[in-house]
Amino acid sequence: FLGAGGGNDIQWCFSQVKGAVDDDVAEADIISTVEFNHSGELLATGDKGGRVVIFQQEQENKTQSHSRGEYNVYSTFQSHEPEFDYLKSLEIEEKINKIRWLPQKNAAQFLLSTNDKTIKLWKISERDKRPEGYNLKEEDGRYRDPTTVTTLRVPVFRPMDLMVEASPRRIFANAHTYHINSISINSDYETYLSADDLRINLWHLEITDRSFNIVDIKPANMEELTEVITAAEFHPNSCSTFVYSSSKGTIRLCDMRESALCDRHSKLFEEPEDPSNRSFFSEIISSISDVKFSHSGRYMMTRDYLSVKIWDLNMENRPVETYQVHEYLRSKLCSLYENDCIFDKFECCWNGLDRQVEFSELHIVMTGSYNNFFRMFDRNTKRDITLEASRENNKPRTVLKPRKVCASGKRKKDEISVDSLDFNKKILHTAWHPKENIIAVATTNNLYIFQDKMN
Amino acid sequence: MLGRGLKRKLSDYEENMAGLSSAFDSSRSLSYPLKRQLVLNMCLTKLQTYKMLVEPNLHRSVLIANTMRQIQEEMRQESTQQPVNICPGIAPSSPSYIGMESLGISLQLPSGVSQQESNCCDLRSVEDPIENSLLIVSDDDMSSAISSILKDLDFVEDISPPTCLVPTGDDQPKFPENTGLKLEDDRQDLKGAECVFGSFEISNSTSYLKDLAIDDIFEDIDTSMYDSDFCCPPLTPPRSPSLATEEPLKTFPSCNSSSAGNIQICRTDLSELDHIMEILVGS
Repeated sequence: FLGAGGGNDIQWCFSQVKGAVDDDVAEADIISTVEFNHSGELLATGDKGGRVVIFQQEQENKTQSHSRGEYNVYSTFQSHEPEFDYLKSLEIEEKINKIRWLPQKNAAQFLLSTNDKTIKLWKISERDKRPEGYNLKEEDGRYRDPTTVTTLRVPVFRPMDLMVEASPRRIFANAHTYHINSISINSDYETYLSADDLRINLWHLEITDRSFNIVDIKPANMEELTEVITAAEFHPNSCSTFVYSSSKGTIRLCDMRESALCDRHSKLFEEPEDPSNRSFFSEIISSISDVKFSHSGRYMMTRDYLSVKIWDLNMENRPVETYQVHEYLRSKLCSLYENDCIFDKFECCWNGLDRQVEFSELHIVMTGSYNNFFRMFDRNTKRDITLEASRENNKPRTVLKPRKVCASGKRKKDEISVDSLDFNKKILHTAWHPKENIIAVATTNNLYIFQDKMN
Repeated sequence: MLGRGLKRKLSDYEENMAGLSSAFDSSRSLSYPLKRQLVLNMCLTKLQTYKMLVEPNLHRSVLIANTMRQIQEEMRQESTQQPVNICPGIAPSSPSYIGMESLGISLQLPSGVSQQESNCCDLRSVEDPIENSLLIVSDDDMSSAISSILKDLDFVEDISPPTCLVPTGDDQPKFPENTGLKLEDDRQDLKGAECVFGSFEISNSTSYLKDLAIDDIFEDIDTSMYDSDFCCPPLTPPRSPSLATEEPLKTFPSCNSSSAGNIQICRTDLSELDHIMEILVGS
């Protein structure tokens, strides 16, 4: 990673940045989720204003072999609107919490998007032909004078400018009392789960008026509540298996075949606390903000406030690997608690499948940090790198310079001291192209796309 | 009363807290009890802020409540092990606490805290104003704060059928450790009453109810018989030693917020309603 990489080390270059340039961030433009589709051709973002923007990768130009296709806006639509719940006098935010793509089955693309309460299935389809030659109407839509219609003709399809339409096909509502934090599509491609703070529901994609509750951790007495669900995901291969993470740093694996209500886990993954790192904030920083299975399903990755952990599903008592994202923050926890940054929910992601080695186990993990930094950890080489998403110093095809944070003591040249970090510039959402070394990194209101330097 | 209780603007308070928390992070000379007290106060402040929101964040509230409970438990263990005050001025079990009546009262900081602003870098002088500025809060205030927040979160109308309370004594419903929930404030009592009558759909919009003179509505109700009808286990005797100093409940002798919270009415048979009406009417 660092320096001139030999072998398989990736050298990241700036490719594109999307979004407003000015520093004044409009609240509605804050990016809240980023997701590639299964082929990587489409890249979707959701924002706080309830909008979804989909970018499409240009087809690779054979003559321009030095760069992969650029991503351009393909479709923009308003997925969710702000709602007001009159019964409870509550406003329901339109912010898109998660987007998940369905695998493509026909010409159209489908995705699920969700806010705090309602999940919607959107169909995105292209229209590049239109019928012409109606008998009763003119081309502009006016009705023809019937007396002028003397012959019968069959309308034909003629090409037109490409139009991309998004239409809501299903609305899955009224199943969540608490705020939805995750959706995950099952490997059967027919069902999906949605998780809120206390419950997980199972849906069929075709059925909107019913869902099955499969996990319920709400205690009879709310005063006994000590743990909430923070994320959930289906196993990539086993359609009856899913996991959910909690605010206490545990992950539970459940099998839906065991019982209708998966209150008892099949496996409980939890690392015993390190007593030397104990502080008042130990529990808060152990809260898991994201969980992601590897493609094989053999491993899963979790993100808590300070670290990324890789778990082997066969070993429950501790992770197989732990990577420190920003350990220098451990001595700043009180300040971070005071300004609420300690509650920031960072996501994490695996690299896409290596093109050369089709079935290799994933070996790089990526996650965000503060000051618009993001981090990557190579599981094989055990090397890590810190990069910055910033409009400055970013020229296409110039390799990104690694960054370094100086925890204490004398700050070297080019290093940044912990106290100079901008905690308002946080990278919570990152995504990795499923097949190529292209990554999408969201700052507060901008989307950066980086590619590896092709030789 | 600590100092001249000043009602400070939130921004001033935030600045002070930022100064205090960076002192926490950077200073090694801040004593452990002081640090602990600081964290505790921050927790309380946050919960207070959340309480004012229409819809508090459940995840954060739970994390903060757990942090508070841990600190509380630690302090309780310390006070039972060492009755003699280790830290002058910071005595967890001292009855001379300035209790925060309920979260409805804004934090009152003494004027001494303003010194701290200019003395941020000087560690020694930081300590004294910190001592002065830290609110000492009693166990029960914390407990009621935590319970109050979590109960508020439960008022959200839940679509799923409520889980039935285990009716008889075999299965003792678990009480959180901090149960000595004594309601110093009538408002807390009313929350309890609201939960009790939750199925009557009164509680679905508590903000609306707060505007009404609920005191007048519920003041005369004696719910002691009502409690026993629902086989609610008797009040868990409070374990907090400071209970003896609490003034006895006036209005609801056997109904505190924890037991009221436990009475989640599973079924609203007409017969139950009739029975309650009989009590209300006074047979």
